[in-house]
Amino acid sequence: MNEERYILFENYLSNLLSAEEKADFESQLQTDTDFRKNFEIYQNWTNFLENKFSPEAVDFKKNIESISKKHFKTKKSKVIDLRSWHYAVAASVTILFGLFLFQNINPTFEDYDNPEMATFVERGDVNENLKLAQDAFNAKEYKKAIPIFETVLKTNKSPEIQYFYSIALLEDNQLQKAEINFSDLRYGNSIYKNKATWYLALSKLKQKDFRSCKDILLTIPDDFEDYDQVQELLNELD
Amino acid sequence: MAQSTIHPDQIYIDGLANNNSAVIQSIYKNFVPKVVSYIRNNSGDQDQAQDVVQEIMILLFNQAKANKLQLTCPFDAYFFLLCKRKWLNELKKSSNKGVTIDDDLPSTNEPTEQMVTEAELFDEKQQLFDLMFQKLGDKCQELLKLSFTIKSMEEVAEKLNVTYGYVRKKKSLCVGQLTQWIQETNRFQSLKIT
Repeated sequence: MNEERYILFENYLSNLLSAEEKADFESQLQTDTDFRKNFEIYQNWTNFLENKFSPEAVDFKKNIESISKKHFKTKKSKVIDLRSWHYAVAASVTILFGLFLFQNINPTFEDYDNPEMATFVERGDVNENLKLAQDAFNAKEYKKAIPIFETVLKTNKSPEIQYFYSIALLEDNQLQKAEINFSDLRYGNSIYKNKATWYLALSKLKQKDFRSCKDILLTIPDDFEDYDQVQELLNELD
Repeated sequence: MAQSTIHPDQIYIDGLANNNSAVIQSIYKNFVPKVVSYIRNNSGDQDQAQDVVQEIMILLFNQAKANKLQLTCPFDAYFFLLCKRKWLNELKKSSNKGVTIDDDLPSTNEPTEQMVTEAELFDEKQQLFDLMFQKLGDKCQELLKLSFTIKSMEEVAEKLNVTYGYVRKKKSLCVGQLTQWIQETNRFQSLKIT
């Protein structure tokens, strides 16, 4: 292997050559075909590795996985969940709920507190802590789930895990900590952006800070999947 | 139509390149169901469709990042054809029966066909590069991974507990090794670089 040559390529790409060396290098690129071809491949490799290990590429993969999981999961669960008796139960609950709301002047956190199930561990995943956190969360044992989430987040900080961790904090009344985490997600770029904003509003609702709750709700775009809930809460706050 | 005209659907490519969740979700909502039903009707299941779609998304992202992918045809057609051909290739790999994959492609200079061919060449090159990277020794792999993640070579040296001069030299030689392998590979002759 022509070691000197590769060291020269690297120095050229890292801009470490003197003006004179650089001029020599560039003139060799013009005249020496073998040298130029070799350099082009070297440069291709540099670009490839730069992209492969860039934080953007890593974030993109995580984001795609989480959107994909979500997309395919909702499709599957629809098939199972839409049995007619579910509709009947849902309808009667809604009516009761409506009657109940009628008597209440202000909406409460409990009215909207309906956290979704966590499903991190799927398709052969074997992260034990994540499984424990998931089980505790789904069993509504939030006090137990929080420290496990914290351990997991130290090594694997994905928006999905952070989102469920924040809900656990909110349920456990660690409101300040919950709000910091929701805000973090709210200003991020993940699919949990809008959901986190919604929960941030719910946290304000829990504190009966209706004005902040409303202000936050108004920032949620109308293509948010649970926008009807947002609308409902806004109407009640008026 | 001039070949260089960029299709308005370029927004999807730009959205992918910027990791824009709203755009990605709209691709899943609007274009993925068609792919899923195609794969399910052609000896595949939903999980396989999910994987194919994910791979194509990553391919588009990489391509957009590497050479400013410019869409000259509708995104719908492009995306569907890419997924479809990927799936047919998988089928071909798993069964040794010849599956014809070219028969219903338009045979002339359709912009879609051209774009798909370019993407497939790019994909082939990426796969070759990935494969070769795996062939490198562990030391080289670790050093390259660190030096492209951390960027500052001083920090890399500190992390690996070696001198700055050593990491710089070692990095050139590891990339040099990869370069050498590529030069020795005939396959690369047919895959255009740049």
